[in-house]
Amino acid sequence: MIEELFQAFEDRPAAVRARGLRKRFGEQTALAGLEMTVPKGAVYVLVGPNGAGKTTTLRALLDLTVMDGGTAEVFDLPCVERGAQARAQIGYVPDSQEFPYVELTVDALLAHHAAYYPGWDESYAAELGRKMAIDGGKRYGGLSKGEARRVQLVQALAHRPSLLLMDEPTDGLDPLAQDRFQALLADHLADTPTTVLISTHRVHEVEGLGDCLGVLRDGRLVAQVERDLLERRLVRVRAEVPEQWAASALSVPVVRRGGRGREIAWTVWSETEEAAAAFTAAGATVRQVERLNLEEATRALLAMEEAP
Amino acid sequence: MLIAINASDPRPIYHQIMDEIRRALVVGTIAPEDPLPSVRQLAGELRINPNTVQQAYRELEREGVVHVKRGLGTYVSDLLSQRSERQELARSLATRALREAHRHGLSVDELVEAVRQAASEEERRHGETTP
Repeated sequence: MIEELFQAFEDRPAAVRARGLRKRFGEQTALAGLEMTVPKGAVYVLVGPNGAGKTTTLRALLDLTVMDGGTAEVFDLPCVERGAQARAQIGYVPDSQEFPYVELTVDALLAHHAAYYPGWDESYAAELGRKMAIDGGKRYGGLSKGEARRVQLVQALAHRPSLLLMDEPTDGLDPLAQDRFQALLADHLADTPTTVLISTHRVHEVEGLGDCLGVLRDGRLVAQVERDLLERRLVRVRAEVPEQWAASALSVPVVRRGGRGREIAWTVWSETEEAAAAFTAAGATVRQVERLNLEEATRALLAMEEAP
Repeated sequence: MLIAINASDPRPIYHQIMDEIRRALVVGTIAPEDPLPSVRQLAGELRINPNTVQQAYRELEREGVVHVKRGLGTYVSDLLSQRSERQELARSLATRALREAHRHGLSVDELVEAVRQAASEEERRHGETTP
């Protein structure tokens, strides 16, 4: 594993700290000693294949799922022992399609939700409702998936939580609602200092917002890295190589191999000039060294080769 | 002024914003002492992290292109000459074109020659359509 791909963020105040979280569901291991730190103020994008443990991670922070081992903290509050205090600072957009109050109207549901949060901002809730085109008179149980999602977003944001946990927040949203959600989140971040932890499969939807990336595989983070560092050091090299090219001579760590025959496109962990020099020294003709956007970086890291 | 960014552009987003503001200066859609959009406004419009807008503004301030008026916002500086911005913009474009040419196995001379040729063809075509 490339060590620099896991930043511990020990020098920064943490909004979330998970230490050695373990959880099994029967034969299935959801979390296998998860170490995760979300720096305060970050927009942390958590990615991973289905079943990698994303939802379990978020639920552990809310103490909704009992862990088999390890500890989690939110703003230095232990999530189990001081759960109520921790949850008071969290806005949560759940993944599940649970409809616990199907008979309530949306307005009644929001009023019920507001009662739990002293920081609930009535006028902000109304503004969010307008922006997300929510019809407060409708019965919650009769909403479509996308409509329910929009209500959940209002529930999560209107008390201006210090920490926002969002599990696949754009799931079920139509393209217009997605776009509104992105604008709304950008506005929210500009007005309210918030740490955000988003689990998502659709990284392109948070391309402009995310500034930290966590890649979860088999219940562990294989990468936890700031976008700035990714932009500097994760590059794709397009080059032509001789027949029977021996890549063993390459002096930079390879994240992902691509291309075919004599034309290759490899993603490596290195600064641009250093990468070009390394490939040239190894006998390749370098055509281009390019930066990856967040979505491309995610794909490369998800497919990252295990260290030999 | 219209600031457009593109997720698949090889430049980081803050860099694209800087180039877009330079472009606006060069084409004249913003002028010295004009205010830039607020961080909140631009972040909301572009659906990006407000910190990214701040980073772009900070870098432009460091380069002397803009300055911050406390409590009022960020304003375009009264540069002695806009020439350096033109040069900077031209260099940024040239660098991108050069990289692309190199990827296609073309030499600098071939690219420059092709630009000249394409420009004269454009001129001719333009001449034909203009009465």
